[in-house]
Amino acid sequence: MAETMTVTQLNTRVRSILSESPLVKDVWVTGELSNLKKYPSGHYYFTLKDSASEIRGVMFKNSRGRIDFEPEDNMKVTAFGRVDLYVERGAYQFIAETMQRSGVGDLYLAYEALKKKLEAEGLFDPARKRPLPLYPKVIGVVTSPAGAVIHDIITTSGRLFPADILLYPAQVQGEGAAESIVKGIKALNKEGADVLIVGRGGGSIEDLWAFNEEIVARAIAASEAPVISAVGHETDFTIADLAADVRAPTPTGAAELALRDRRELIRHLDTDMLRVNRALSGVLERMHYRFKAADSKLAPKRAEQRVSMHNMRLDELHSRMDSALRYRTEAVRRRFIRADSAVDARVQRMVENNGKDLRRFSERLESVNPMKVLDRGYALVTDEDGRAITSFGQVGAGTNIGITMKDGKAEAEVKKVEMRR
Amino acid sequence: MNAEEMTFEESLKTLEQLVSELENGNLDLDKALEIYERAIVLRERCRKILDECDRRVQKLIETSEGMKREDLISE
Repeated sequence: MAETMTVTQLNTRVRSILSESPLVKDVWVTGELSNLKKYPSGHYYFTLKDSASEIRGVMFKNSRGRIDFEPEDNMKVTAFGRVDLYVERGAYQFIAETMQRSGVGDLYLAYEALKKKLEAEGLFDPARKRPLPLYPKVIGVVTSPAGAVIHDIITTSGRLFPADILLYPAQVQGEGAAESIVKGIKALNKEGADVLIVGRGGGSIEDLWAFNEEIVARAIAASEAPVISAVGHETDFTIADLAADVRAPTPTGAAELALRDRRELIRHLDTDMLRVNRALSGVLERMHYRFKAADSKLAPKRAEQRVSMHNMRLDELHSRMDSALRYRTEAVRRRFIRADSAVDARVQRMVENNGKDLRRFSERLESVNPMKVLDRGYALVTDEDGRAITSFGQVGAGTNIGITMKDGKAEAEVKKVEMRR
Repeated sequence: MNAEEMTFEESLKTLEQLVSELENGNLDLDKALEIYERAIVLRERCRKILDECDRRVQKLIETSEGMKREDLISE
């Protein structure tokens, strides 16, 4: 009968094959860093990948002194090290002893190439940029229906010039995202949007990649309505940003670019009316003066009556307008409060559901907590390095071992080893 | 053009023209009042657009009969 072994034994055996094989020991491997996590312990965990494959990797604190740059996601590097197996998980990983930057990542090269090409075509030419409409009736938004972008735009536009908002729910990352964005730009143009906001929240270069695709840049350039890009990132411009008529740093900024501030406009109107009033007063004063100075045959009394009648009419117009405006402002305010509370309720529900999941997970975690087992009289046996000993194969007569019990530790020496049948 | 049919932009532009006309021209009383009343109407039109209550927030959805609109906020 074939030999039966535990998973640990199997993993341990695979580990020893891997760590002894010269094929995967002291090798140089080149790839792009992603999912880089810098732990407080000083270890760096990351994924190293090329266009087809990836491998988990780690660089321990003591190796970090050997590199003269700060690793970042998307960096293309050549790393030196060995492959090792993490027995507990049966997962193998690359232990990087040192690392060199090998130029810029492939994605960045693709970005640069496309940028150069479209630049040469004149797609980013400032002369191509169209002015945004001053008072659009419909703002088209191409973004994810679930993200913060659409939420921020709706909230912000509440205090801006009133315009309809029409969302094209687009896929903004992953396979097919570029096509989805292009479709949205076309559909919203067809629906008669006066201006478009195209965007998504921030992310890694991979997450934002759809906004660096040629078809998206071309759709933006071909859009009949001017396009505001709002791809959430601070420093780097995507190709979409360069092709857009205006680039906004945030969704809120995009809404503010698309729509003038409502209060500002009201102030503007008030100033206009002030000027009208002042000009009219001037005319009236001139008239009074002329009537007074004129020949009595001109019947100044009648003329003065006419003037004061007009004045009364103006007063009445003013007060009618004021009360109508007050009523409307209140109605708008109530409407936005309603919209806000609907969004709040949804967020509340999401938070509650996540809370339930968390509780379930922590109960499960509790049930596998080794300290619980120690409570029942079992003990944990470790080698001198503190690693758990789980097999007779890990010890021999004379091996020093540590025993951890519920409330203390002991050191011991193995006298005899025997395999259980 | 009737003020009720004007867009915000047209109303505001016309209003501004009237303001300068009133400020610059040496107008007689009847003409000045006529401009004044027209300015009041235009301002009211602008304020009405600014305070518009029925701003719509919708999303496009693809159906077998083409694109349709659907309200976004009301669930």
